Amino acid sequence: MLTPYEKILFAILAAVSLYLASVTFRRMIRTIKRGRGRLAWDGLPGRLLTGIKALAGQNNMIRNRPLVSLAHTGIAWGFILYMAVNLVDVLEGMVTGFVFLEHAAAGQAYRLLVDLMTLAALAGMAALLIRRFIVKSTDLAVAPNVKLHPRAADGIRRDSLIVGCFILGHVGFRLLGASFDIAIHGPDPWQPVAALAAGLWTGLAPSFLDFGLHASWWIAIGLVLAFLPWFPFSKHAHLFMGPFNLMTAPERTSPGTLDVLDFEDESIEQFGAGRITDLDRTHITDAFACIMCNRCQDACPAYATGKELSPAALEVNKRYHLRNHMKSLATGGEDTEPMLGYAMSESALWACTACGACTEACPVGNEPMFDILAMRRNQVLMESAFPNELKGAFTGIERNGNPWQMAGDRMEWTESLDFKVSTVAEHPDYDVLFWVGCAGAFDPGARDTARSIATVLHRAGVDFAVLGNDESCTGDLARRAGNEYLFSISAEGNIETLNAAGAGRKKIVTGCPHCLHTLGNEYGALGGRYEVMHHTQLIGELAKAGRLALPGRDGTRTTYHDPCYLGRHGGVYEAPRQALAATRPSLVEMARNRNRSFCCGAGGAQVWKEEEEGREAVSDHRFLEAWETGADTLAVGCPFCARMMNDANKRAGEPMRVRDIAEIVAESIQDEQQRERERERHDDR
Amino acid sequence: MNIIALVKQTPDTAQLSAAMDGLMLSADGGPRIVNPWDEYTLETALQAREEHGGKVTALCLGPPEAADALKTALAMGVDEAVLVSDPAMADSDSLASARILVAAIRKIGDFDLIVGGRAAIDGNTAATAVQVAALLGIPLVSYVAKLRNLDPSDRTVTAVRLLEKARETVTSRLPALITVVKEINEPRYPSLIGIRKAARADIPVWGCEDLGLDPSGVGAGASGVVWRTELPPVREAHIEMIDGGPEDAARTLVDRLMEEKVI
Repeated sequence: MLTPYEKILFAILAAVSLYLASVTFRRMIRTIKRGRGRLAWDGLPGRLLTGIKALAGQNNMIRNRPLVSLAHTGIAWGFILYMAVNLVDVLEGMVTGFVFLEHAAAGQAYRLLVDLMTLAALAGMAALLIRRFIVKSTDLAVAPNVKLHPRAADGIRRDSLIVGCFILGHVGFRLLGASFDIAIHGPDPWQPVAALAAGLWTGLAPSFLDFGLHASWWIAIGLVLAFLPWFPFSKHAHLFMGPFNLMTAPERTSPGTLDVLDFEDESIEQFGAGRITDLDRTHITDAFACIMCNRCQDACPAYATGKELSPAALEVNKRYHLRNHMKSLATGGEDTEPMLGYAMSESALWACTACGACTEACPVGNEPMFDILAMRRNQVLMESAFPNELKGAFTGIERNGNPWQMAGDRMEWTESLDFKVSTVAEHPDYDVLFWVGCAGAFDPGARDTARSIATVLHRAGVDFAVLGNDESCTGDLARRAGNEYLFSISAEGNIETLNAAGAGRKKIVTGCPHCLHTLGNEYGALGGRYEVMHHTQLIGELAKAGRLALPGRDGTRTTYHDPCYLGRHGGVYEAPRQALAATRPSLVEMARNRNRSFCCGAGGAQVWKEEEEGREAVSDHRFLEAWETGADTLAVGCPFCARMMNDANKRAGEPMRVRDIAEIVAESIQDEQQRERERERHDDR
Repeated sequence: MNIIALVKQTPDTAQLSAAMDGLMLSADGGPRIVNPWDEYTLETALQAREEHGGKVTALCLGPPEAADALKTALAMGVDEAVLVSDPAMADSDSLASARILVAAIRKIGDFDLIVGGRAAIDGNTAATAVQVAALLGIPLVSYVAKLRNLDPSDRTVTAVRLLEKARETVTSRLPALITVVKEINEPRYPSLIGIRKAARADIPVWGCEDLGLDPSGVGAGASGVVWRTELPPVREAHIEMIDGGPEDAARTLVDRLMEEKVI
């Protein structure tokens, strides 16, 4: 189709574009390589499949914001198809007389598909531009109290406009080209949209049509050549960096499992992330994969309650910092700017509840939570600068083995039970080890739960034992607060205790999702591999096996709050509901449940410090949601959720009953026993 | 500016139990910690160094295990640490301890400021630092809640003392000894880099011979105070839960307190 001169020009421009792209892409890759560790490449076929699935399936998108996701799917699928279309168009342009599958049925199908997907991409892009620039959707804004790179607000608008115009121009001119082709060569029923556009050109001179055909080709393809080297500077890079990020994601035992640090290696002089180059490579990749859609921000409990934290702003700020320093970083230049400054404020850093909602929400596999926890490590291990209240909790773990700084007896909670709870020392042949946790041992509310769990196990005839005073804090709060050193000491101590108790060959059950996550998912990396289950899982199993005498329906309306470390981090959503269903079948769900559950506000060591300044307490926000279901009981499965929800309940004037599932089940068993006794008395008479 | 921080290792009195050998430090006597008041001592010394330069030496008298307290001091950031330890020094009372500490301070040499805590939580005499100042013949400013002005060039220190019913601002010449109360600052949490540095550090141990002290002049034999410790008797407690709404509960509580002649 092209003239010889055009062909030469195209060859030259394509070479220039590819050369420049190789320069900028190499710069991006070298910048990513400034990070620590390696990107995961093991099991490449599986990883490729992950990337392709994410790109083609768009399933990460559609979970949230359905209409916007639909528009995006139109563009995404259009774009995937256009990778082939551009190749075909270049071949048709460069090879005289070549028309791709001109007469075959496959060619007709191809042209129909391209024609329709062109429309879908144009409509999708127009919708997104209208959403951003005319409707000005608030989803795309970041609250003014959140730190945002000075160039970001305008930069994102400009970048979006450039990308929008690029897509409209590229796809639009491809469509016009097809329409000129139809005007020249006659109608094609397989390109209805292009045929409709061809109607515009009726009566125009053949020379004009020919000019139009060439101009359209040049604009459509030329835009790609022009944009190619620009990709690393634009958020539009997400279209391949997103799938790339998902493909190279590290294997973790849970979405929240942190990497261990090597404290033995004396040559390591930096722990945690002070500068962006201290981050793992996968987390530098995050910044290039981010399309700045703010979906993580929508899910973030700190942001929703007016704190200074937005996980989206963190990725944006990282990206703008990288963009401004890419040349220097790629050539080995030192980055001297601390992240705590441009990436987020100190209050934002300590506002994170480590709930993992941001990583769950991100369509491109970004993990802002990991950056925050890496920065906390730097603050604690390197700078010794962290909220003062945490010092008490740290000292408590160090000296007393619990963050409450309680010197008391870890068996005291068993004293009011009407049966004896044995320690492993007294009863080494146990079947199940009940890991009580510091909350169960010391917190008055959680002691009730611990007693309920013990009661249920006892009534069901489970042969269990506890560690008693040999038990010590798992170190979860220390780890989420950045004190990895204290975590490692706690973990080593507990692993020794657990191994001595033979827990590796038994089942461990715990009433605390934080203990569950740490023992089950995080101790493995330190050599402690255990089979750990949450009490609701065990209760569910016991109920199913008919080992619990549970009464029928009692009609109480109950809603269940998924704890982050049982749900998102543990993947346990149904067991607690099943355990609950065994007693109270009238279960109403909150709008945000299961993997979309909204944190109670305690996680990430928040419960050990004052909540950062914001509009409202995270716990009040969540409690309101529970209250609005119309349920009278709020069932929980975590001592910290229980405490947060109880406090919020009290502030609201106690409209609900907050109970752990174990308590509900234990009450139910007791009620049944009561009824049983009454029936017996009745029969005696 | 050369600063000496006096540090003692004590039992964690928050965790006293019958299993412990009274208040004495014994191998199985429960966790031992840096005397909590001395955390403020160390923070004061470190802040003064950060402002004026120079060096902080932490000085501790105690059994060999007390080196752990100095490790904490090193982890917090002191430049040097010295442990004074000798079996002959065991059971020294505050005056005998002061004599030992003074000998060690003389051996350390030049100093502008000595900082100590208001007391140690085990003996709780609040006397040792006072006696150190007296033996050295330098001014003592005790119960310091704020260092208003520390001026190495003018060789003065102005401090606010926290008294029972007043605050007193005192200016003293340097060298001087100050004892601090917890209102003065917020002790830092050791960074990992500090902990690693401390783990590598070799802490010198000085005994009677190193200090030129006659063993008969220190320890129990040279002390006027004889230690006899016992745990407080267990108090009989009776717990009564009051039910009802806040107003009723408060009324019942007041009635009960009046019955018991508490109010």
